[in-house]
Amino acid sequence: MTLSNEALAALVRADSVHKRVYTDPEIFALEMERIYGQAWIYVGHESQVKKTGDYHTTRIGDQDVIMVRAADGKVHVVYNRCPHKGAKVVAEGDGCTGKFFRCPYHAWTFKLDGSHLSLPLKNGLEGTCYDPANPDFSMKAVARVDSYRGFVFASQSAEGPDLKTFLGGVASSIDNLCERSPVGEVEVAGGTFRVMQKSNWKVFYENLHDTMHARVTHESSFVAAREEAAALGEMPFELLIMDGNGEPYEFWEKLELRAYHNGHGYMEGIFDPTAATRDPVSRDHFAVLSDAYGEDKARQILGMNRHNTIIYGSGSPHTVFQQFRVIRPVSVDRTMIEIQTFRLKGAPDAVFDRALTYANLINSPSSNVMPDDVEVYKRCQEGNQTRGGDWVSLHRYLGTDQETPDGMVSTNGTSELPMRNQFAAWKQYMLNPAPTRQRQAQEKEADRATA
Amino acid sequence: MQLLDRTFDVSTVPVSGASLSAEAVRRVEQFLFHEARLLDERRFAEWLALWTEDGRYWVPRFHDQANPFEQISLFWEDKMLREVRVRRVENARNWSQQPLTRSAHLVGNITIEGLDAAGHLIVRSTLQLTEWRIDQRQLAGAVFHKLAATEDGGWKIVLKRVNLVNCDDVFANLEVFI
Repeated sequence: MTLSNEALAALVRADSVHKRVYTDPEIFALEMERIYGQAWIYVGHESQVKKTGDYHTTRIGDQDVIMVRAADGKVHVVYNRCPHKGAKVVAEGDGCTGKFFRCPYHAWTFKLDGSHLSLPLKNGLEGTCYDPANPDFSMKAVARVDSYRGFVFASQSAEGPDLKTFLGGVASSIDNLCERSPVGEVEVAGGTFRVMQKSNWKVFYENLHDTMHARVTHESSFVAAREEAAALGEMPFELLIMDGNGEPYEFWEKLELRAYHNGHGYMEGIFDPTAATRDPVSRDHFAVLSDAYGEDKARQILGMNRHNTIIYGSGSPHTVFQQFRVIRPVSVDRTMIEIQTFRLKGAPDAVFDRALTYANLINSPSSNVMPDDVEVYKRCQEGNQTRGGDWVSLHRYLGTDQETPDGMVSTNGTSELPMRNQFAAWKQYMLNPAPTRQRQAQEKEADRATA
Repeated sequence: MQLLDRTFDVSTVPVSGASLSAEAVRRVEQFLFHEARLLDERRFAEWLALWTEDGRYWVPRFHDQANPFEQISLFWEDKMLREVRVRRVENARNWSQQPLTRSAHLVGNITIEGLDAAGHLIVRSTLQLTEWRIDQRQLAGAVFHKLAATEDGGWKIVLKRVNLVNCDDVFANLEVFI
């Protein structure tokens, strides 16, 4: 039974949410339809499919999809399903399918945009409705695909805002990531980590801008880094990036949190951008950018100091350390994180070295930082399954945030504004069961079948 | 950054053979068994002392990964980072080590491969590792040790490379040394 809009609306209060939003499989199924079925979701970066036939498999919510480079050079996103028996056409992972897709079950073939190419032994289909032009015989394309500076997003709904409008204020984080390259381009490089968390997908989004957890959850990590630095008599980069979580509350209270429509936002950086003139890697980077853009613009690019950006439903790009943590819901209590690292084309090698080190030491499954996050997420999931209370609090600095034309800005960096903003978006999506193009098509097919 | 110093020789392909007496081979085997036992008993301080000053601990993220400089790794740690990890897992507020990771290493198929360019002994072994922390996990792989002879006739680890059979798996966490 589908929950009524009244029942869904009652789960979100101004200062709290009902724990059911994290634990109820029925709500998870509705999210896959109403959030992941409508929003623009990051599929992958164009650099992951460089040549014709290259593909990258991933998921939009609970839907297996393939991002593929077609013969015309365009990137397409199609559902990973053969229209004959429904078999997944390609296995999980990345690869090159050549000039066409070929289903491993009965050798139906499809062009790289998913449209029907051929199938064996056509004479058996004479006199039937078989028609290569009929979409029933093609792999289905996701309703809308668009790319922003090489970052490919897809929406399962034919309706809704265009990608640029959807991204709103957080498009500037993608711009900044690209502009850190002197040619304005980035590419996925160095491989990706995959991490499974035993918690609901929303828990991770909330944590990304939760500044109150850093010095509590990560105490063992920053204390270890500080003890080691004291023993060494210096604080090298590897320890510095672990040390940040240990800043005092006064530091976190001064940070700016931005919240945009659709649940997006960003958090101001933890590390000092003026370190650029002190540290040799940043100095070299600055020199290359100055040559390309001029000194003022270079200073502005490296001075834009953002820590985690949130693109709600897709994940979290990190501009300074060239990452995208792609967040994929698996089930109501399982979330997969795919951590991509980017190379800035034309930037000094040492800049990529730093990104690689950051990925290894901060976001890998074997880092000294993430295991404690993963542990507390799991404890939230398990605690919320007990009868020990029904509501989850979001009340910190409620009512103090400032409204701006494109969203809200915190007056205090420990505000729970980002979580309230995410649930405002959640409610907006969940109360809007607008049929996706996919379901409209299904309805049309059903009508045709009964007519 | 020292960590990405490309002059560090990560190759585990021998450049020459090594001729060891049966007794010397036995001592190498005992060294590997002892190392495994220190990890199982969480005697991390003693484990840290098995390493040379510039020794590196490496668990590649990819099968046949050439080096830790161009691609991510599950672990790529020098002395400083090994010490940080030990400090963290021994800190009282290490939430994800409550309860602790328990492990049993089974080391076998030990072969002496030869010597590297600097004369370090390259030893290959097969590892079966059972881990328990809430869930049971099985890790396995080929381990390469590069060992430097010490003046007192013992060994120190210059490089430990663990090629996990499931290095491309989805992991929740890998908190302790493999």
